[in-house]
Amino acid sequence: MSTPASILLVGLGGAGCSMVMRLSAQLPPEVAVALLDTDARSLSAGTAATLQLGRAQTRGMGTGGEAALGLASAESEEAALRRLFAGVPVVVLVTGLGGGTGSGAASVVAGYAAECGATVLSFATMPFSHEGERRMRQANDATVKLGQKCHGLVVVHNDLLLQQVSPEAPLSESFAAADNWVGGALRGLASAFAPGALIAVDPAALRSLLSTPGSPTLFAYGVGQGQGAALKAARAACDCPLAHAPGAVAKVASLFVTVAGGPAMTSTEAFEAVAAIRARFGGETSTVLCARIEPTLGDRIEVSVLGASLPAPKPPAKPKKGAKAEDPAQPIFEFATEESMRRGLFGGTPMTFIDGQDVDVPAYIRKAVRLPPVP
Amino acid sequence: MTSKPLPSLIAVIDVGTHKTASLLGQIIDGKARMLSFSERRTDGVVKGTVTDLEKLTQCVHEVVNDIERGSGRAVEQIYLSLSGPAAEGERVKGFVAVPAHDGKVTAKDVTEAIQSAKRLEPPAGRTTILYMRQPTMLDNRPVSNPVGMAGKRLEVNFWRVTMEEGNMRMRVGMVNGMSIKVRDFILASHAAACATASDADKQGVLVIDMGAGTTDWILYYKEHILCAGSIPVGGEHLTNDLSVALRISRETAEDLKLRFGSAMHRENDVNQTIWKDGDKGVGDQQFNRGTITQVLSLRYQETIEFVRKDVLRRLEAIFPGHAVKLDQNMIPSGVILTGGSASLADAAEAVQVVMGLSARVGIPNFENESLRKPEYAGVVGLMTAAITDAPPPVRRPRGFLAQLKEIFRL
Repeated sequence: MSTPASILLVGLGGAGCSMVMRLSAQLPPEVAVALLDTDARSLSAGTAATLQLGRAQTRGMGTGGEAALGLASAESEEAALRRLFAGVPVVVLVTGLGGGTGSGAASVVAGYAAECGATVLSFATMPFSHEGERRMRQANDATVKLGQKCHGLVVVHNDLLLQQVSPEAPLSESFAAADNWVGGALRGLASAFAPGALIAVDPAALRSLLSTPGSPTLFAYGVGQGQGAALKAARAACDCPLAHAPGAVAKVASLFVTVAGGPAMTSTEAFEAVAAIRARFGGETSTVLCARIEPTLGDRIEVSVLGASLPAPKPPAKPKKGAKAEDPAQPIFEFATEESMRRGLFGGTPMTFIDGQDVDVPAYIRKAVRLPPVP
Repeated sequence: MTSKPLPSLIAVIDVGTHKTASLLGQIIDGKARMLSFSERRTDGVVKGTVTDLEKLTQCVHEVVNDIERGSGRAVEQIYLSLSGPAAEGERVKGFVAVPAHDGKVTAKDVTEAIQSAKRLEPPAGRTTILYMRQPTMLDNRPVSNPVGMAGKRLEVNFWRVTMEEGNMRMRVGMVNGMSIKVRDFILASHAAACATASDADKQGVLVIDMGAGTTDWILYYKEHILCAGSIPVGGEHLTNDLSVALRISRETAEDLKLRFGSAMHRENDVNQTIWKDGDKGVGDQQFNRGTITQVLSLRYQETIEFVRKDVLRRLEAIFPGHAVKLDQNMIPSGVILTGGSASLADAAEAVQVVMGLSARVGIPNFENESLRKPEYAGVVGLMTAAITDAPPPVRRPRGFLAQLKEIFRL
């Protein structure tokens, strides 16, 4: 890499690497890709930069689900990781929590990247309810640690993914849905910083948006096509299960909205989409808009949304519970934390396990039942 | 066997996750006449577990004040319900070899067998709350009264309920701050059964008491308690699931659950649109009824399925190596469903589907009509159990209060 790319996409652990590899085909050239894993097999394919973690600890065999081993493996490669992150303005870390490498190494890797001066945005997938108590606890612990190390953290629940596709659909389809969301966000981010955007922003804008480590991050993505594509896309983003934290009203102070469309997209359309997004998610304090024309999109329009709270006067003691502005003039916003998203009114209470499932999570989510359409 | 005389006034308190109810009755000819009743919203209990003792204590004091004021009588001692996963039950056994000289069982043999059953220490850190008599076996045959019968090996069984010591101390302390005493604990599911199941039912019946925070169950076989258990899931979970699925507040979810909810999801529900307020004015929202019944039925049926598995698991622990089947032969009276969440529409039908047993909603049998609702099965049953259980079939060698005092000296 002669000139550092504006965005470095990092896949960490088995799940993270395979997701990043699936994504790498549809990414713009501004995004560089790196794969990190303890298991040598995840790193063999593709053109991406690779780094095998914990060669001494795991001998290329993976961690066998041990988070402590994942953590030690990442720490042993500190120098190489810092070299990787040097000079990169934005690092996007994609990882699957629950296993050993992701759960153990994610906060360490994010920490190094942040110390190297990068704005770190993490996408973490949570295990399916049926994967049992140990993995769920390990993943929950990891989200708390990871949230404190990176500037933005988006939690993707595998249970929610299952609901998005029809019951007969192959498993690959639900993972493809996840790829779509994260891929959409990355394309949005990458092209926002790339030359040629109609309304361009620089990485500093992202930095100021995500300036409070540990505060919950809102993320949504939607696509619309044909007549009124921009509004359709905005509505799809509003309905995006990732953002539409069930049970919680996700209103945030600052928004970063990217609208991408084919040559036919008008500025009116773009602003309409942003207005719809703002009506749903807030963004009263600041809304950064980025618009871009991409000929390959045809009559499709993509909207991706990142949002965060205002920087709190001091770091909240328990970032997981959501930061609340102390200024009385500032409306108090509610956040969709990974807990409230799945556990609703039971968020914050101890988990109750029966047959390895947290029974406070709604039954329909654990059973991956698609609900009838909203009238 | 010692026995205490039954007081002419009995006060009971049923502390639930959602509400705390108290009933004061005057006992005339073995039947309770209601003197006063009070219920208040419970504070400080989540999922059947005490989270804020101070608030809960306050709440208990308030209901006691209510019934004292309502009746003009002073309450000296109360019976307290025991529910949720904190009260863990298991079967304990005691044996005695009947001396060979004439081969007949004496009262002394029975006492010895009982003592040997009660010598079994509860698990570390737990204290025994109550023993409930199970069938006595003479040479592996159930007998109702073995004294005078010929046999070789006498076995007595109890269902023993234990509780973590700290938890127990907390519950007693909550009442003892006032000038009243806990006379005894009664298992909530046993109380619910006393209110809703007849003696004939107790030949074989499964009583499921589905409250707000927990679902307690108890299985009777040949008039005795065979086993009991608790699942930390209840009506609050129904409300929560609905609130998450429709993105609405707890209050709205609770309201929609009661008005449009069902424990069965039917094809036709999907075609129905319902309005939150019904005036179609500003702020009114419309929902698909199918979503509501889908979400609720999944949770309801899953909870009953958890109960089914728990019953089977405990039966297998009692009868290791036997293929236990929950069927109408074993449980001729089927399932009696009671507690606040039994009022959900089609609840009995859902239980029937999941359990494969006949099911009905249990209405507490009480002279006062206002308490003849499933949600009052607990408090009414406490009264019934307090009357019928006193004097209990078997008392501990040491008095219950003596044991409590000992705990406080710790």
